[in-house]
Amino acid sequence: MALLELISPEVVKVPLQSRTKQEIIRELVELLRDAGRITEVQPVYDAIIARESMGSTGLESGIAVPHAKTRAVRKLTMALGVSPEGVDFQAIDGKPSKLFFLLLAPPDQSGPHIQALAEIARITKSPSFCSAVVHAPSAQGIVELFSEG
Amino acid sequence: MDRPINRILVYVDGTEASITAAQYAICLARAYQAELAALYVVNTRALNELLKARIFIQAEEQEYKRDLDEDANRYLNHVRSLARKKGLALETISASGNVHQEIKDCIRERDIDLLVIGELSHVRSRRDEFYDEAERAMRSVSCSVLVVKDEERVWQLYDSLS
Repeated sequence: MALLELISPEVVKVPLQSRTKQEIIRELVELLRDAGRITEVQPVYDAIIARESMGSTGLESGIAVPHAKTRAVRKLTMALGVSPEGVDFQAIDGKPSKLFFLLLAPPDQSGPHIQALAEIARITKSPSFCSAVVHAPSAQGIVELFSEG
Repeated sequence: MDRPINRILVYVDGTEASITAAQYAICLARAYQAELAALYVVNTRALNELLKARIFIQAEEQEYKRDLDEDANRYLNHVRSLARKKGLALETISASGNVHQEIKDCIRERDIDLLVIGELSHVRSRRDEFYDEAERAMRSVSCSVLVVKDEERVWQLYDSLS
């Protein structure tokens, strides 16, 4: 599974408007609903929040990867958002999170889910790429960065 | 003269493309009277990376490992069943670790002379090319590699096998 296959401008939002962790998650889930990727917001939001309650997916360097298994999707689905000012996502380094990869997978697609998450993990190791994404002017600009990556 | 193909390995990762590859490998094994094995690799390297990156917590890593082990059984059983329906014996191999390295090792250990893999993804970035496990295996294995395309034709071929 190539991450690029999951990204299109409809599921990328820059800038995100929210100022709290819960609001960021809801805003990204609503983006997926508006893009026609999911039909109901609440069960997806609840699944993500349940996972976050086990431990924050706020990583170092301003990146967060909220994710969950849910029957609300039939295939791997992703939303990507940028909050240039940063939001407290209870990240492990205590710093505000700016780049959010929200990933949903049906329960029977653990393989592709892991591949996509592993690709995100590799991306997080490239500060220059992440910085370019955070400073991209538009959703289309972010998609192009992934195409070039 | 030796037959050109004696031992075929098909790499199965649960995608539709890999199942199509398995059907084609079954057709080839019948046509060349070759031995056929199917390999599924549980990508524990990726699981470890996710744990290390703290994207996964320990309980989650274990849960996904169980899921992948079940996937391995399910998909290998499915491929074995496809072969059995065509009167062919198929050896199933389940491994875990670094995917492309496990494929490479399996080929060397079993003296495989043809690796069959499913069609590679169309949408690609340079990063994808580097990290796609099937693509990495294709580049690094010692034997010839066949990338199976045209799902409809393969299905017809498989279906027409008596």
